[in-house]
Amino acid sequence: MPDVQDGRSTGGASTAVIQSDMHAQIITYLLLGTIIVNSNCFPGTKDAPPASRIVFKHGKVSGDYERFKTLLKAFEKNNPGIVVEDEALPASTDEQHQFYVINFEGGRADFDVVSMDVIWVPEFSRAGWLLDITDMLSEKEKAEFFPGPIRAVTYRNRLYAVPWYIDAGLLFFRKDLLAKYGLSPPETWQDLVSSSLLIMSTEPGVHGFIWQGKQYEGLVCNALEYLWSNNGDVLRGERVAINSPENIRALRFMRDLIARYGVSPSLVTTSSEEPCRHIFGNGRAVFMRNWPYAWNLFNAEKSPVKGRVGITTLPSFRKGASQPVLGGWQLGINRHTKHPAEARALVRFLTSPESQKMLFLAAGYYPARKSLYRDRELMLQQSFLPELYRLFMKARPRPVTPYYMMLSQVLQPEFSAVVAGLKTPEDALASAQKQIEHILEAEYDQ
Amino acid sequence: MINKDRGIRYVAPALAVLLLITAYPVFYVLYLSLHRELLIFKISKFIGPDNFFFLFQDDRFWNALKNTVYFSTLSVSVELALGLCIALLLNRSFRLKGVTRAVVLLPWAIPTVVSARMWELIFNSDFGVLNYLLGAHINWLGSPSWAIHAAILVDIWKTTPFVVILLTAGLQIIPGELYRAARTDGAGAWKVFRTITLPLLLPVILVVLLFRTLDAFRVFDVIYVLTGGGPANATETLSLYAYKILFQTLQFGYGSAISVMVFVCTGCISVFYIKLMTGSTPR
Repeated sequence: MPDVQDGRSTGGASTAVIQSDMHAQIITYLLLGTIIVNSNCFPGTKDAPPASRIVFKHGKVSGDYERFKTLLKAFEKNNPGIVVEDEALPASTDEQHQFYVINFEGGRADFDVVSMDVIWVPEFSRAGWLLDITDMLSEKEKAEFFPGPIRAVTYRNRLYAVPWYIDAGLLFFRKDLLAKYGLSPPETWQDLVSSSLLIMSTEPGVHGFIWQGKQYEGLVCNALEYLWSNNGDVLRGERVAINSPENIRALRFMRDLIARYGVSPSLVTTSSEEPCRHIFGNGRAVFMRNWPYAWNLFNAEKSPVKGRVGITTLPSFRKGASQPVLGGWQLGINRHTKHPAEARALVRFLTSPESQKMLFLAAGYYPARKSLYRDRELMLQQSFLPELYRLFMKARPRPVTPYYMMLSQVLQPEFSAVVAGLKTPEDALASAQKQIEHILEAEYDQ
Repeated sequence: MINKDRGIRYVAPALAVLLLITAYPVFYVLYLSLHRELLIFKISKFIGPDNFFFLFQDDRFWNALKNTVYFSTLSVSVELALGLCIALLLNRSFRLKGVTRAVVLLPWAIPTVVSARMWELIFNSDFGVLNYLLGAHINWLGSPSWAIHAAILVDIWKTTPFVVILLTAGLQIIPGELYRAARTDGAGAWKVFRTITLPLLLPVILVVLLFRTLDAFRVFDVIYVLTGGGPANATETLSLYAYKILFQTLQFGYGSAISVMVFVCTGCISVFYIKLMTGSTPR
C-alpha cells in the first residue's frame, strides 16, 4: 500500500522496540560468549566456510509475512554461503525516508539491499548513496518491465535500482448502481460529475466521488492526475511549469467537485486512502480514486460491496488523456556495501519473474514485469489483470528529480489550500511556482 | 584588581560551557542562514542575505508568523485570566484545598505529546467525546478555522496550571496585614484586589507573561502531534515551518533563516518584557 503515511501510529511502539532491542543485545552478547567459549573447546568448527551475511531493509510486508520469509529462504538455498537478514522499517513512508537519509548520509555499511519508494530513487542517486547497477539489466531485459518504473529508476542515463512491484491510481465504481441507471463508466470528468449527480439525486446517503484531499503526499498524487489529464505538468525539462492555465483549470475543477457540483463531500479535504476505502467499502459512494490494493478487500467474504465493484482508468478532461500516477517500490544497493556481488544476486532474485509471481500470491504486490500479466495462475487469482496491465502501461512517475521531496513539501499545502477553498488556484500556483524556482536554483546555480 | 582577575578565572569554565552550548549554535545558524546549504547533495554556497529576501516575500512564512502571533496572544491571555482566577481561589482556605490544588496541577504533569494524543481522540469528529457531549458534528482538526482554536484550547488546558503555580507563589508573599488594614479601612473586595493584590502581583505577572509568551511563540509539540500544521497550513507555526524545511527537506540554509527570524522575534519579546519589569519593580 503506497503513500499511506500514517506516521501517527508508530510513536508508542518505538520505546518497546528499544527495550526489546536492548534485551536482544544482552542475549546476543551472552550467546556470543558461549559460542566463543565453545569454539575454543572444539577447534574443528573454525574450518567451516564463513557465510556472508547481507541485510535487506524494507517496509512492512502486507499480507502473509511467512510466505515472504520462504522466498528469502529459497534464495539462501539457491545461493549457499549467503545469509539474508531482513529488517522491517516503520510502516510510515516518511519515517522510512528519514531512516535512509540519516543512515546513508552517515555512510553506514551495515545494510546492503534497500527497498525504495519510487519518488526517492533520483534523490538517493544524486546524493551518491546507491550503487550504479546499469550493467545489471540489458536493454532487452529492461523492456520486460513497465516503462514508468524504468524511467523512475534511471538517473542521468544510469540505472540505480530495479523495479520490484508497481502501483497506480485508478477509479473504482459501483457496477450495480451504474447498471441500475443505465450508465457506463465515465471517460471524462464531466461524465463523472453528471453520473454522480444523477445517482445521488435518488440514492440518499450515497456520496458521488471520493478521493484523497488531506495535506500529504497522497494529495499530490491525486492532483497530478487532474493536471496531467488536462495536459498540464509541474516541470518541463529544466523549466518550472506549474503556473499554467491548464493547471489552474484542473485545480479549480478539484475544488468545484466539492463546492460547485457537490459530488464530493467536504470530508475528502481531510481523507487519506483508508477512510475513503471504508466509505466506499460500506457502499456509501458511487466512485472512488484509490490504489489497486482495495480490490481484494472489497471482494473479501462479508464485504458489503462484494461482486458489485468495477475498476477503470481515471477520467480526463479530453477523452483518452488520462495518466495515472505511478507508485510502487524499487530495490537498490547501498554504495558502501561490503558484499556487492551477494547484494546483486539478491536484487536479481527478488525481481525475477518467479519471485514477483510469488509476492503477488503471498502479499498482493503487483509485479513490475509485464509478462506476468498473461500468467494463467495469476489470472485465476484476479480476473482483471489485463485491465491493470493497460493501467500500469500508462502509469506516469511523479516529477523525476532529486528535489522531489522538496517539491512535494511545496505542493502539499498549496493544493490543500485550494481544495479546502482557502486559496484560489491562481494564487496557489503562482506561489508554488516561485517556491519551486527558488528550490531548483540550488541545482542550476552552483 | 587581583580580586577581579581571580573572579574571571572562577567563572571561566561556566562561561566556556555557556559559549559552547548557546553562543556557538546561534552563530552557526546565523552562518548557515547566509548560505544555500543542501547537505545531502554537497551543495554549499555563500549567497549573502538572499534567503532573507526570499523569506520576506514567502507567503508561507507570513502565514506561519500570523498563526504564531495569533496562537501566542490568544493562549497567553486566556491562560493568564484563567490562571489568575484559579490562583485567587486557591489562595483562600477551604476544605479539600490540598486535593484541589493537586488536581489543578495535573495537566502540567502530563507530557505534551501524551496530552496532545489524548486530545486528538477527544477532538475526533467521528467518535470523539467532545462532539458526543455537544451533540455536534464539528470537524475540529480538519477545518482550518477550528483547528487552530483546538490547538489553543489544548495549550490552555496544559499550561494554565503553570501560570497558577507562579501566581499562587506570588500571592503568598503579599503580607496579610495589608489586607487586614484595608478591610479595617472599609475597602470592598474589588478595591482590595485593584489596589493591593494587583499592584503587588504585577512583577510576578510580568514574569509569567515573559515565560509564557516565549514558550507559546516557539510552540511545536502540541501542533506537530495534533495537526502536523494542516489543514492547508492553517496551524503551521514558525517552529513547525522551520522544522519541515530543516529536517524534512534538509534545506539547512533556508531553514536556518527561518530560525533566525524566530530568534529575532523572541529576542524582541524578551527585551520588551524585561524593560516593563525593570520599570515596574519598586526600588
